Amino acid sequence: MNSEATFHPNEELLEGYVQGSLSAGMNVVISAHVELCEDCQQRSQEMEATASQHWMQAEEEQEPAISADVAAIIRSITSQPQVRELPERASAVEEIHMLDHSVRLPRVLAKVASDGLVWKKLANGINQASVTLDDKTQCDFLYMKPGSQVPVHKHQGNEITLVLDGSFSDESGMYRQSDFVVRTPDHTHQPVSEEGCLCFAVLDSPLTFTSGLARLLNPLLRYRFRRATSIGV
Amino acid sequence: MNAPMTAAASTNSRDESSAAIQEGGSDEALLIAVGNSQDTAAFNQLFNRFSKKIFALGMKLTRNEQLANDLVQEAMLTVWQKAPLYDLDRGTAQSWIFTLTRNRCFDIMRKMKRQPTTVSADDIWPQEGEVDFNLSHAEQGSMEVEIANIESYYEQLPDAQRIVIEQIYIYDQTHEEAAATLDIPLGTLKSRLRLGMGKLRQMIGTEEDE
Ligand SMILES: [Zn+2]
Repeated sequence: MNSEATFHPNEELLEGYVQGSLSAGMNVVISAHVELCEDCQQRSQEMEATASQHWMQAEEEQEPAISADVAAIIRSITSQPQVRELPERASAVEEIHMLDHSVRLPRVLAKVASDGLVWKKLANGINQASVTLDDKTQCDFLYMKPGSQVPVHKHQGNEITLVLDGSFSDESGMYRQSDFVVRTPDHTHQPVSEEGCLCFAVLDSPLTFTSGLARLLNPLLRYRFRRATSIGV
Repeated sequence: MNAPMTAAASTNSRDESSAAIQEGGSDEALLIAVGNSQDTAAFNQLFNRFSKKIFALGMKLTRNEQLANDLVQEAMLTVWQKAPLYDLDRGTAQSWIFTLTRNRCFDIMRKMKRQPTTVSADDIWPQEGEVDFNLSHAEQGSMEVEIANIESYYEQLPDAQRIVIEQIYIYDQTHEEAAATLDIPLGTLKSRLRLGMGKLRQMIGTEEDE
């Protein structure tokens, strides 16, 4: 089911993911892309190897201050049982059911969705299910019906959109399954989905609609549907 | 609850690996000794080598001394617990401990900030060895194929995989015994076994299809 991605996280983001320095929301969207993208699996493995080398080579400025005596800590650790088999994963939600077909989710998103998604109608043809992962990001599953359009908006922070199914386009290009699309604050854009799409989006600060809330409720430009209901596949 | 290892078992295993350990063996050798034979002397050495490193990474990620100290204990506990799953084929001991430390740190920070625990580090960064998990279920009972055929397939396997299968299926050793005999981590043994068995099945499957 994986289509090869054209748009990937940049070095800085992937590095942050590997180093563990990003927010949970960012980690989740990057992790989901990495699962879908062999290139980024490769890249992140190489980065892990490099990061761990640097980690070993660095000089420490400060010693750990372990209060109890080290021998006692080691004794208490080594009295614990070891794990000889990976535990079987509790099965999470794996698919999101759309109108006429299901979309299989990357594992981390399946986990994110496992508490249940509450879909809200946002505007014409756009549905949103928000999930809370941390206090720094706003994370949503977005489902755009065929022919729908997101109102013109501007971000205060960055917006990352991972396409899970179908496609959408904006002024700068066309994005398909597995694509990792980054929009920066100075970027005003107006995504349109002709064939419909399911995305996972992460904002690192709230977004503002440049043309007012009313715009959100207005009927949007009509697009000819290539297909009546199906989104891709 | 969990019975501690018998004294005899741990003494024996320490004797076997003590030479490498005392000479200051590689991180990998230490980790293998911990994973294959619960070698506490080897674990001691790993603790000495890595606790400063773990603390430093904790400081960098949390900027909180208390958390960084907690992280040393949590991460080293995970090293102990998961050592049998360490897999030489997938990277160095330092990279294994680095990723495990990063993951524990993520979980500790979330717990401290009382953030939703829907996702944990193990969801975000897939665990080593998990990818081909399904194969291990199918492993049993797959040997009921004509022996003559298998032999020729078996010859085609890479040495590393063949000797593992040999230990398990021909000499009838347990996974732990075979890992000790071959002096490789249990995790490596299991992944080579999975790969080898997967290849055998594939060869058998292809033959039948044609
Ligand atoms: Zn990628």
